[in-house]
Amino acid sequence: MLRRIWAVIQKEFIQTLRDRRTLLIQIALPLIQLFLYGYAIRMNVDHIPTVVVDQSLDAASQAYVDAMVVSGYFDLVGYVPSQAEAVRAIDEGLALAGIVIPPGFGARVVRGGAQALLLIDGSDLFTSQSAYNAAASIAQAHATEVLTAEVARSGQALRLGSGQAGGQSLLPLDARVRILYNPNLNELWFLIPGTLAMLLQVQSITLTAMAVVREREVGTIEQILVTPIRPGELMLGKTVPNVCIALVNLLTILGLGIFWFDVPFQGNFWLFLWLAFMYVFSGLGLGLLISTVSQNQKQAQQLIGMFTLVGVVLGGFVFPRYAMPPAIRVVGWLFPLTHFIPIARGIITKGVGIAFLWQQVAALFVYIVVIMVFAARAFKEGLD
Amino acid sequence: MRRRLKRFGAIVRKEIVQLVRDRTTLGIVLIIPFLELFLFAYAVDLTVDHIPTAVADLSLDSQSQAFIHALEISGYFDMEMYLEDEAAVVRAIDEGRARAGVVIPPDFAAQVERGRGQALILLDGSDSFTVQSGYGAAVAIAQDRALKLMVEKVSRMGASLGALPISTSTRVLYNSTLDDMVFIVPALAGILLQVLAVNLTAIAVARERELGTIEQLLITPIRPIELMIGKMVPNILVTAFDMLSVVLLGVFWFGVPFRGNPWLFAWLSLLFLVSGLGMGLLISTMAQTQRQAQQGSVLLMLLSMLLTGFLYPRAPMPPAVKVIGNLIPLTYFVRIVRGIFTKGVGLSFIWSDVVALAVYGGVVMAVASATFRKRLD
Repeated sequence: MLRRIWAVIQKEFIQTLRDRRTLLIQIALPLIQLFLYGYAIRMNVDHIPTVVVDQSLDAASQAYVDAMVVSGYFDLVGYVPSQAEAVRAIDEGLALAGIVIPPGFGARVVRGGAQALLLIDGSDLFTSQSAYNAAASIAQAHATEVLTAEVARSGQALRLGSGQAGGQSLLPLDARVRILYNPNLNELWFLIPGTLAMLLQVQSITLTAMAVVREREVGTIEQILVTPIRPGELMLGKTVPNVCIALVNLLTILGLGIFWFDVPFQGNFWLFLWLAFMYVFSGLGLGLLISTVSQNQKQAQQLIGMFTLVGVVLGGFVFPRYAMPPAIRVVGWLFPLTHFIPIARGIITKGVGIAFLWQQVAALFVYIVVIMVFAARAFKEGLD
Repeated sequence: MRRRLKRFGAIVRKEIVQLVRDRTTLGIVLIIPFLELFLFAYAVDLTVDHIPTAVADLSLDSQSQAFIHALEISGYFDMEMYLEDEAAVVRAIDEGRARAGVVIPPDFAAQVERGRGQALILLDGSDSFTVQSGYGAAVAIAQDRALKLMVEKVSRMGASLGALPISTSTRVLYNSTLDDMVFIVPALAGILLQVLAVNLTAIAVARERELGTIEQLLITPIRPIELMIGKMVPNILVTAFDMLSVVLLGVFWFGVPFRGNPWLFAWLSLLFLVSGLGMGLLISTMAQTQRQAQQGSVLLMLLSMLLTGFLYPRAPMPPAVKVIGNLIPLTYFVRIVRGIFTKGVGLSFIWSDVVALAVYGGVVMAVASATFRKRLD
């Protein structure tokens, strides 16, 4: 049995090494992508181009606009005379947000109950979220400031915050937020572990997805069939050379993440390596399954397109899985990425050990066994 | 000219026969976009609320309970477990059982009375979405509660503070309720169709080369550009059908309002599909084997997803990365589809993207035919 598997491995190695160009592409692509995404993806949008309609032009309105600008979230790109003009600027895409301050703002601030209007381009997701949150908190902070200044002027402040030195903050309650594992909110720390997992999955599925269907289309499958090799052995043999390529990918991506992007590796490196090895194996298995069920490379191509796209979205790379409806979460189990993202984030970012991750590890293990059995079965059925 | 048309007609006929003969593939191609649209539309939840939260309340007095209650009724935090101290909360986050934690120190009510109550909010920093919504929500809720307490206190001391001096009302244009579907469906139609289109043609030429049938094509009088366009025509029909059904599904099933001119949108979608199919052909002529073609199209798919503004905003990207995004038709189409579909603007607002897309389609076809010719030797 070992000899038969060895023979397939040799054949696959020769075929892989002969096609230098493809091999080079396979090794370089994930690296280039990590590099790109590391620089490209920013979810927290600041410096949102903003137009201002200031119909008051008094001290209070200026202070308000200033507060928005110094927050760093909004960049003034111009003043326009009316709200309609502001909407037009957003329609045209010149600005993504607009601040509208009605006439008599200063007087209203003194009386209490002044209103400013913020317009946000709702067609762009992250921009509107960032702008929405930023505006809400800036406005609240600004209002608090104005209010405390007012209270201080009326002379009651001293008794109000009696326990406070200097009395710089009069608020009776304050929430400190501590971000575990990533205290400075470094976006790369969020991004790199997930991207690593995502790239490895796409890569491993793609590597084997053409393996069987190609032999079928070119006709060489007949030659393999007349040999005494069994389906399971063939599957295993086809996986091994690709495991090597995927491991090279894993190490280069990880190296780039740690040494170039400076993402700290908190957990146990060897544990991670072993689990990543398992993960790569499960992706290769999924690719093989796609390859055996497809009748030609065109079908395999479409199926891969779907599996990678759906896997990226449902696996938790972009959107958190706990926010998805239960039925969709179950569909997500079909992708190895779903099980590996908690592992990657757990070991790299959180620095936890196997005791905290055993559920995901067990799931991944079951996944590999099931997928290989299915692939071998599908191969056998496809023979008739 | 007539002979040219005849040659062209022959190629189109051959491609249609091949497309229709392979029923399974055709079925897959027609079904995939629906499946993806359904999965994505339900999976994508952009404002993350109901974050699983662990609480350690060391005070257990009225103030601490009021604060926790305020966090809970905001809808952002689900208090799923009550633990004894901060270490236990951190552990729950380590294990992934909770994504956020609230720790309230002993004597909270007294501290608040004295004006220095401090609650600690912990957030799982390995997940950026949680951090983003959790952070904003926690700070806003705490501040809101603090203001209320302050106003209460001031009024107890005999003074009166009216309403808040300034309040901001925010209006989100085009999507007033911040509905996830409105964000996601229009651009989703774009990416699904581009992936489909590129995949359809990406192995078209590589396949003929691998199977050897390319030799037969070469000895016919057909010209490269005719071959390229001929390979494209049947696929335009398939993808146009997919596009139409995805848009209809989005509008009638998911209830995403279509604000612009449907005919303008139809024409521009066609233009987009042609450039997508052209991109696929270019990959196909450049690749030597179907395997390479496949690697190329998967790469293009990931790049399209992450760099074109479909998912992540393009504004913060460095210029060099933006240039790469400009090489992908989806970049222009995302702006077009959001413009027409969501904003309801006309051609005068999006003409630059339309021109770019048209130029793109032409260039890609020309380059594909040129590469094909060069590859013949």
